[in-house]
Amino acid sequence: MKKFWMLLLYIILFAASLLWIYPYIWMFMSSFKPSSEIFTKFWPSHFTMEHYSFILKSAESMQRPFVRALFNSIFISMTVTFAVIITSAFIGYALSKINFKGRKALFNFIIFQMLFPGFMFIVPLYVLMRALGLLNTLSAVIVPGLMSAWGIFMFTQSYKSVPNEYIEAAKMDGASDFWVILKLMIPLSRSTASIVGMFTFIGIWDNFMWPLIVIRDYNKMPLSVLLASFNKEYGSYVGPILAGSVIQTLPMVLIFLIFRKYFLQGISMSLK
Amino acid sequence: MGMRTLKRRENIKGWSISTAYLVYTAIFWGYPFVWLFVLAMSKWNFLTPRRFVWFNNFIKLFTDEDFWRVVINTFNFMLYFIPMVLVLSLLFAMALTKVKYFKTFFMLSFLVAYVSSGVAYSIIFSKLFAINGPLNKLTYSLFGVTIPWFSQPQLAILSIAMMITWKFIGYYGLILYSGLVTIPKNLYEAAELDGANRWVKFWKITLPLLNPSLVMVLVLAISLTFGIFTEPFLITGGGPMRHTYTFMMMIYSNAFQKLNPGYASALAIVTALISFGCVILTRKLIEREVSYS
Repeated sequence: MKKFWMLLLYIILFAASLLWIYPYIWMFMSSFKPSSEIFTKFWPSHFTMEHYSFILKSAESMQRPFVRALFNSIFISMTVTFAVIITSAFIGYALSKINFKGRKALFNFIIFQMLFPGFMFIVPLYVLMRALGLLNTLSAVIVPGLMSAWGIFMFTQSYKSVPNEYIEAAKMDGASDFWVILKLMIPLSRSTASIVGMFTFIGIWDNFMWPLIVIRDYNKMPLSVLLASFNKEYGSYVGPILAGSVIQTLPMVLIFLIFRKYFLQGISMSLK
Repeated sequence: MGMRTLKRRENIKGWSISTAYLVYTAIFWGYPFVWLFVLAMSKWNFLTPRRFVWFNNFIKLFTDEDFWRVVINTFNFMLYFIPMVLVLSLLFAMALTKVKYFKTFFMLSFLVAYVSSGVAYSIIFSKLFAINGPLNKLTYSLFGVTIPWFSQPQLAILSIAMMITWKFIGYYGLILYSGLVTIPKNLYEAAELDGANRWVKFWKITLPLLNPSLVMVLVLAISLTFGIFTEPFLITGGGPMRHTYTFMMMIYSNAFQKLNPGYASALAIVTALISFGCVILTRKLIEREVSYS
């Protein structure tokens, strides 16, 4: 009897897993189907790359430069991710390993900052970007993301478990703080760096509302916004839209699959 | 080197690193924070000089039909979303504790939804749920009906709740799972000796001891509700009959389409307050001290 229930549980879990991945499978398969078969056949008569060549080449003449948008997205996400990891690694070091007056207050302030939801800042931040003359530039998406209170918090917490003796030993050998952070602290906090980097990358790659607000020029849009605008204007081009969705989704899923170990760690870490 | 100079050097070093952060935060967090409140009490259209109008925006907000529509929509959405996401992620977490094999596979299958792109998955679901989409094909061949997923008001809210549930079950389920595995096994064994059945064990042991994780999931789910933008913006545009119009869409359209940033700022403050209020209320009602005795 127990065996039967176990088997049933496995069957249900497998079915549910398939159901959960199904939207991905459907998107991926459909992006290779001939247009007339997307909604009619599960298994197409043949597979085709036409939607990909359309979205990457022909869409350019419809003022939707997808290759450009892809590079914009990569540039924006890489810059922000790199900046957040480096700045968080340095400031986290000051907050956990340098004994200065006001350290505690600063750390509390960072936690206080994390209480406020991002949407509160959208309108005034737009006014600021406008005053700085950054509207319609990639900087408008990059600059507000260069430092992250959450990233600093994560690094500070993770550094606390690095024994002070390591740092003292490195300093005995004549290492500077700069060297200690780059060659000792960051490598020892590899999993934190991965978690912060991964969530930052995914968050900025997927960001839709903010770039929608600050960027009007099709040549400067990240992929998310350009894809949405293509979908709105040319909704009948289902195949190319699905191909675009695959391109938009793939980096996020790949990063997730590569760093899945840290992802699971990150979830349990954020619970402590 | 004396203690004093060492201390001073630490102070200088600490503050010189922190200053970079403080300057950045002052510009990109502090300045907008102050301006949020200034704008909320101003009438402005980005171009002509700003006029100070005290609490006019707030007063106008509370007599605005759109605002009350959005409030009702948000709670209407939560009515579907919260029970659905809570029950399903709890079931998922409990199933995970029972299985020995393929555990990572199950986790990853559900978590991969969590890293779906907001724009891409909105597009995909709008196609899957379309009148001629695969889901309606299935219901038509099985029951002879097609369901207007996004064109009937309550169904549209339900559909968006289902999409977001799809996205978050893996994440919430994992939070609950890590709560479940910390419950000591001997508690269950002791209860079994006392003749407790599954049902009693669930209500008397599992649920009370899972309280911290449940509260965390609830808080996350509630906060998320107030930030919904991409799905209704791309799929329904706030319709049908404005039933999927959200706080974020109202902020967006007031600030950047009706060019009324003052009104949108007031709305952002009120939205944050309602969201905080809901979170605090939930904690008050549900949060319990957990003891293992």
